[in-house]
Amino acid sequence: MSEPLIRMDNVSKFYGRIQALENVSFTVNEREIVGLLGDNGAGKSTLIKVLSGAVPLTSGSIYVRGKKVEMKSTTDAIAAGIETIYQDSALVTQLSIARNLFLGREPIKGPRFLNRMDDEMMNQVARDLLKQVGISKNIPPETPIGSLSGGERQAVAIARAMHFESDLIILDEPTNNLGVAETQGVLRFVRGARDSGHSCIFIAHNIHHVFQVVDRIVVMRRGKVVADDIDPKKTTVEAVERVITGMSDEELAHALGPNTH
Amino acid sequence: MLRRLIARPEFGPFILLALELFVFWAINPEFLSPLNIGNTLAFTVELGLIALAMTLLMTSGEFDLSVGSVFGFTPVLMWTFVNGGMMPMEIGFIIAIVTAALIGLVNGWFVTKLKIPSFLVTLGMLLVVRGTALFITNGFPQRTWDAGGHWLAEVLVGDFYVGPFRIYMSLFWFIAAVIILGYVLNRTRVGNWIQAAGGNPGAARARGVKVDRTKVALFILCSTLAGFAGIISSVRTSAANPNSGMGYELEVIAMVVIGGTALTGGRGTIIGTVLGIFILRVMRNGIVLIGVPGLAYNIFIGAIILGMMALHSWLERRHHAGT
Ligand SMILES: Nc1ncnc2c1ncn2[C@@H]1O[C@H](COP(=O)(O)OP(=O)(O)OP(=O)(O)O)[C@@H](O)[C@H]1O
Ligand SMILES: [Mg+2]
Repeated sequence: MSEPLIRMDNVSKFYGRIQALENVSFTVNEREIVGLLGDNGAGKSTLIKVLSGAVPLTSGSIYVRGKKVEMKSTTDAIAAGIETIYQDSALVTQLSIARNLFLGREPIKGPRFLNRMDDEMMNQVARDLLKQVGISKNIPPETPIGSLSGGERQAVAIARAMHFESDLIILDEPTNNLGVAETQGVLRFVRGARDSGHSCIFIAHNIHHVFQVVDRIVVMRRGKVVADDIDPKKTTVEAVERVITGMSDEELAHALGPNTH
Repeated sequence: MLRRLIARPEFGPFILLALELFVFWAINPEFLSPLNIGNTLAFTVELGLIALAMTLLMTSGEFDLSVGSVFGFTPVLMWTFVNGGMMPMEIGFIIAIVTAALIGLVNGWFVTKLKIPSFLVTLGMLLVVRGTALFITNGFPQRTWDAGGHWLAEVLVGDFYVGPFRIYMSLFWFIAAVIILGYVLNRTRVGNWIQAAGGNPGAARARGVKVDRTKVALFILCSTLAGFAGIISSVRTSAANPNSGMGYELEVIAMVVIGGTALTGGRGTIIGTVLGIFILRVMRNGIVLIGVPGLAYNIFIGAIILGMMALHSWLERRHHAGT
């Protein structure tokens, strides 16, 4: 098989004396949505922070299409085609959708020294992109991010990652605090991104959401990857829950109590 | 349409200014006399230049308390050199302006590299700069009347009459600054970065925006324009007083926030600031003219600031509640 899009090899991460990642090896293939699951504190966020350059790794290496890459900052990661989407934090609420999409890469119109932004072009592209990610309502691209819902903001962030040809889009709990319809929207955006050739890492505590979109599930426990090739089509939510908690069947049944199920 | 207009942050200040003008004129028609308008304008543009630069700086999420002292210090420095016969006026002017720019650079460097809040950095700078101005002059004003007729003085604040109105050249500098800075903030890439730097610096950095460099440039702009305004003022009043500009920093910041620029950064309006400048200046002028004791001036200014802040926050909350 050819090189995966992303390969993390024996990555460890210490926060002071706390070991958050222990010899983690992890891959994402081209056009694949990987669901990353694990209990609170399992190390999921740390893993993707290392991958997106937000925190430095302690040891190990990261390869993008077989080439070793140093992720010293989020800028490095973005340059390597890795885009991370946190709820809210990646957008400027005061700026419009279009200006957020192009932040840092604004197209210039007219003589260079006038430094004039091409608002028309930005708005046009924004309109097309919003349609592409499947925002059903007709939201003008001049709308400030501050007046969008949480799900719509995710959509803008995803649209931005798609437009700037990020190969890997990372979503850390994108469906937190979202309503039913909004959640379905985000899941649709994720599928849309894969269909147009992007890969995704999708982190969520709601296993049902993960099951709806991902191609493969990776489970972490206490800083280690304990399963990395679970096919959601060939297993059940309950079985994955057992892997996450690390309990045997009897232990799980006991923990859940006699009256559940 | 009307609702869109009302929702704009400049709407409140606009109504307030119109109201002020009407009330003062109704009480004392002298208020709109050519003489009074000319005098008010001359004062206004000097503080106004600083307020315009401060608008961009505050939009980027920082502010500068040292502008008042730079306003006093820069002309003192220039005239000390020039009066001492050390150099011609042009060179003195350039050295003074470059020094003002360097003060801004130091402010910006402390804030962005050492991560010290701009409140503390520029408060410290205020004392250093004011202290230096007093020290090199022994507290005495520098005379500037030699400037009369010099081409540089004419370009800066030469006056002429348009009909009955006495107009100073500084008005054109102010108008130019309004146009250029308004354009920069609203139409350019740099303007987008300024807003992003104040709105969400983390997100801006992640997109490769040079947040720190943008802020340093704005600190330099603010200081430079404060020094420039100080020199203009010194030529117009024929004196460079080491104490002048005291308290200007707060008045300038008040002008900016009254106009609708957010104290916390991310949102700024040049038009709003122009309105804010006039609201405070007209108030100062009108109060005296209608016979309210000048000592009561601050009561009105304070009330305007509180009232406008309440209005802006109300509009903001109504906006977020959704329409
Ligand atoms: N900045 C930090 N400093 C010190 N320890 C940290 C830091 N961030 C995370 N940790 C620790 O690292 C471990 C893994 O945390 P991480 O945030 O990666 O978990 P997670 O799987 O994302 O959990 P959750 O599902 O709750 O988001 C935890 O024990 C946590 O306490
Ligand atoms: Mg987490």
